[in-house]
Amino acid sequence: MPLPVPQLRPTTRFLLRGSTLLIGILALWWVSLRGPMLDLLHGAAGVFLQIRENPSGDWIVRVPFETLLPPTAKRPVAQQIHSINFEMPRSDASRFIFSLPVFWAIILAAPCARRNLWSLLIGTAIMAALEVALLLAFVDLAAYQAISHIQGDAGFRWGRQLGLYIVPDVLPYLLPFGVALSLHRELREQVFAVDTVMGRRARIS
Amino acid sequence: MREGIPGPHPVTHLGRFRFVLIFTGCLLFAFGLLLTPPIQSLDVQFSRTLVQGSHWLILACGGHASRDAAILRAPGGFGVEMRDGCNAVNVTILLWSAVLAFPASWKMKAVGLVVGSAVIQALNIVRFISLFYVGQYSLTWFDFAHIYLWESLLVLDTMVVFWFWVSRVVRLDAAACAPA
Repeated sequence: MPLPVPQLRPTTRFLLRGSTLLIGILALWWVSLRGPMLDLLHGAAGVFLQIRENPSGDWIVRVPFETLLPPTAKRPVAQQIHSINFEMPRSDASRFIFSLPVFWAIILAAPCARRNLWSLLIGTAIMAALEVALLLAFVDLAAYQAISHIQGDAGFRWGRQLGLYIVPDVLPYLLPFGVALSLHRELREQVFAVDTVMGRRARIS
Repeated sequence: MREGIPGPHPVTHLGRFRFVLIFTGCLLFAFGLLLTPPIQSLDVQFSRTLVQGSHWLILACGGHASRDAAILRAPGGFGVEMRDGCNAVNVTILLWSAVLAFPASWKMKAVGLVVGSAVIQALNIVRFISLFYVGQYSLTWFDFAHIYLWESLLVLDTMVVFWFWVSRVVRLDAAACAPA
């Protein structure tokens, strides 16, 4: 006689499926997908930036940046800057490609398998575009930070720091969840209980 | 005044827009605050406390480790430091922003903030201790577990904690709305 299968809560089911898929898909990404995905990011970002690889595999990024450095005590003549080069370790660049496997894990763990394929395809395209956008935003912010440092410009320092924290350290972790919730209606409705609390409160206000 | 509102209603764009607006505002405000010097010093102190707790837990379970401020060291020489971002403050901010943005009573929000933060911090201690042992085994897998796997798992756990809290809010709401 078969044992009765316990009925899990949606939260528990999602947690178990999500954690298992996250471990499996991220391990697969780490072992075999990281290299090809870095090459794809290199190619996509290379449309907007000049990126070279040094022998150790780290990226040398050249950011077009037109600015005139005013003369200072150390540098008596004004200097025209056309671009900024900086080195980006391969491990730092990997931060902009791991969001995609995280997104796959969330979507595959979501309820209603019928909707998953559509969300997976559309979401993959959106996540890939967002990853390139994040890399470009990070590179721009880093270049702006470097120029401000040379110029001794303390203006908007807090904003720059916030950007340099959020773009590489917060958004790559947050976006896969945000995109999954935006695309997958069943998951969104379950997490936010949209048919009850949010709708009800909106009517009250 | 919720007594007069019967059963479920379809979601409105107003409710979604309000949530996204408050959530994003809270998130930006809290991350901005986190970067200010006074909060940074509190953050460092908090990390030290978490390392102290992890150290105590390892010793209580029969393990071997020594502690130096926010660094946990293994007898073999491997050490792991809890820096800014490793103390789960960022995912706690994420949970707080979501709970504060969600339409619920202030009492339920307070419960969500306190209990949710406790769950996340407990998970983070498990994470820190597991990284301490993974690092002694392989630095490559330490990088993988530290930067990618555990961070993503913590965000997933935060989402589930929030989901669980929302389902509690809905259940209590439904009980309050039910006819006597």
